[in-house]
Amino acid sequence: MGESTDFISDLPQSIIENILTRLSIRDAIRTSVLSSKWRYKWSTLTDLVFDEKCVSPSNDRSVVETSLVRFITGVLLLHQGPIHKFQLSTSFLQCRPDVDQWLLFLSRNGIKELVLELGEGEFRVPSCLFSCLKLTRLDLCHCEFDPPRYFKGFSYLKSLNLHQILVAPEVIESLISGCPLLEFLSLSYFDSLVLSISAPNLMYLSLDGEFKDIFLENTPKLVAISVSMYMHEDVMDFEQSSDYSLVKFLGGVPLLEKLVGYIYFTKYLSIGDDPGRLPITYIHLKTIELYQVSFEDANEVLVLLRLVTHSPNLKDLKVSASPIQLFPLEEEGFDLFDREYFDYKLPRLETVKMTDVSGIRNELEFIRFLLGTSPVLETIIVTSSLSDKDAKMDMVVELLRYPRISPRAQFIFLQD
Amino acid sequence: MSESDMAITKPEMMKSYIWLETADGSIQQVEQEVAMFCPMICQEILQKGVGSSKNHAISLPQRVNPAMLSLIFDYCRFHQLPGRSNKERKIYDEKFIRMDTKRLCELTSAADSLQLKPLVDLTSRALARIIEGKTPEEIREIFHLPDDLTEEEKLEPLKNTMDDPRIRLLNRLYAKKRKELKDREKLKSIEVEEHVDERSVDDLCSFINGRDPKVVKPSKSKKKNKKRKEPKNGISNGTCEASKKDSHNLDSKPQSAEVVDKTASSLGDVSNLLSMEDDIFTPKTEFEDGYIDDEIDPALKEMLDREVEDFARRLNSSWVLSIGQERQPVHFSINGNGNTRRLTGSAAGHK
Repeated sequence: MGESTDFISDLPQSIIENILTRLSIRDAIRTSVLSSKWRYKWSTLTDLVFDEKCVSPSNDRSVVETSLVRFITGVLLLHQGPIHKFQLSTSFLQCRPDVDQWLLFLSRNGIKELVLELGEGEFRVPSCLFSCLKLTRLDLCHCEFDPPRYFKGFSYLKSLNLHQILVAPEVIESLISGCPLLEFLSLSYFDSLVLSISAPNLMYLSLDGEFKDIFLENTPKLVAISVSMYMHEDVMDFEQSSDYSLVKFLGGVPLLEKLVGYIYFTKYLSIGDDPGRLPITYIHLKTIELYQVSFEDANEVLVLLRLVTHSPNLKDLKVSASPIQLFPLEEEGFDLFDREYFDYKLPRLETVKMTDVSGIRNELEFIRFLLGTSPVLETIIVTSSLSDKDAKMDMVVELLRYPRISPRAQFIFLQD
Repeated sequence: MSESDMAITKPEMMKSYIWLETADGSIQQVEQEVAMFCPMICQEILQKGVGSSKNHAISLPQRVNPAMLSLIFDYCRFHQLPGRSNKERKIYDEKFIRMDTKRLCELTSAADSLQLKPLVDLTSRALARIIEGKTPEEIREIFHLPDDLTEEEKLEPLKNTMDDPRIRLLNRLYAKKRKELKDREKLKSIEVEEHVDERSVDDLCSFINGRDPKVVKPSKSKKKNKKRKEPKNGISNGTCEASKKDSHNLDSKPQSAEVVDKTASSLGDVSNLLSMEDDIFTPKTEFEDGYIDDEIDPALKEMLDREVEDFARRLNSSWVLSIGQERQPVHFSINGNGNTRRLTGSAAGHK
């Protein structure tokens, strides 16, 4: 006769759930056919993660859709107890009444983390979502978001991620203000958004889209910012505002440790009247990454210089110089650098990476500036977008000429 | 590294030991810093002051046997040194969990009772990797699980494709289960009805709202319905109890009774996927409607209006796109005779 008793079924439920949570939902549910003890062990899992891999693949989209819907409905029905996390990420489901039903069910079962990434469509988030007041995390993708009048916000929400959401801008603002504990905010794929962000506990901010104007009104605890700013064709709108965007955006983030800006971010920051010195020093800022900085535009170079000189603890600097010009500018003078900038020191700067350098004056002067102000600089990586070998050689020769105050500073020239 | 060097040069001076007693009575001693890595032992030492001598050894929980204890201490001895890099720790962990499955389970259990969460997570991850992607037979083989489910029970959990033969088989199973339950009810001498399809919405709502069923509007209650109220409640209660023993929640009134059970006792173990899919729609909204008449504050009323609006909108939009025979268009009522009643109408029926 066979053997010992089974050695796993009598482990405490907390351990079983620890194990089942690490399996795909499909594998977890399949454990219900193992033995009579295992029949309902999966049914109290509090985290449910679904995608189209839960069902057998098929060439026919509608078959996948139906079986996925049936699967999820079945899981929710057989489930017992609270559900803390529900994640559904699939392009196979778009606007379906079933999703509304699931959200209603979840709203009555203590949902705390909700991730809904559906395919493109006009899924309108049902009103039951706004009664999920225990939410700590909300990720929505490809939805329409229209809260009722009585909705004040999610008072426990810590993480909000909205991607390609159809929503009125004032709704976003009031949503953000209505979530006082918000620590992570990501807004992407928005059109012409004008936003004023007031979030006293916000630590991580990620913006990606066509923003017209962003004002970080009250975000004292921000630690990391990542912005991809696409711009409207009508740049004229920008010229009208007189407040210096750099101050409006980065004036109130003293705890900033990492700043990343893509596309037109630097251009956006350069708009407005430059007041001279910045009102703030970024003593914690260690990493700056700015892409598509247009070195031909003196204002953008100024923004770059300001940021760099006001960050005494800057350690890594990455600048990509490829210009995405809306209209070509006359190359402005580089007398910026003859001012007091060389009195600054960048005492902690260790690595610099400059990419897509095309050898224009401002770029070279900027590198000269870095070499002359960073005593502990170790590596400076330069990649060039020049195709002409001679021009490249001239540039390299010029760069190598510059005096370096760091004895260990080394150039590394890479092919693009 | 330097710490262990120091330990070699000055053995007695540096180390202090903790005494531990496993459930089988054997007593071990282990270096203090190793033992303190386990929260449970740490707590015992700090709060109760035991462990410093052989006579006052800390008694360990039953799930920890001497073999597991020494494994756990190997783990602790490695990880309690702060100087190790993350990569080193990962490599050690991967090697550490290479053992047969039975020992892995014992180790998980022991680590859990000592509250050593990093080790529990490590072993759980390993066990998950073992289970992942394997067929039930393989898993049963590995873990020595008894194959004690009936064939029918195995069919129930979620299937991705409901082929026709399966549907037929399931229907046969339901009929069988229905019969079983009916027999059981007979033993408890409760009347059982055969068909419920003429069950009125008002009866259902009134049951849900907990009112005396006899107070239901007379225009809706025919003699038939009145007679059914007592047994209706009885059956629901009966099934509530029955289902605690039996995994199947089916009774002779598959549609409404089950739903009532759901709302009444929120039992999760209904395996009747097909009919349940339709049923959850009607009764839940009815459930909400029952409140619309009461005095409620405007905010709640608005919220409920919106839900009704949502529902109506949904129904008007894409039900046509729904696929397959399983999903029939939603009936507003549970009346089997097919006459639909609008939601507002049924709500009005409560006044």
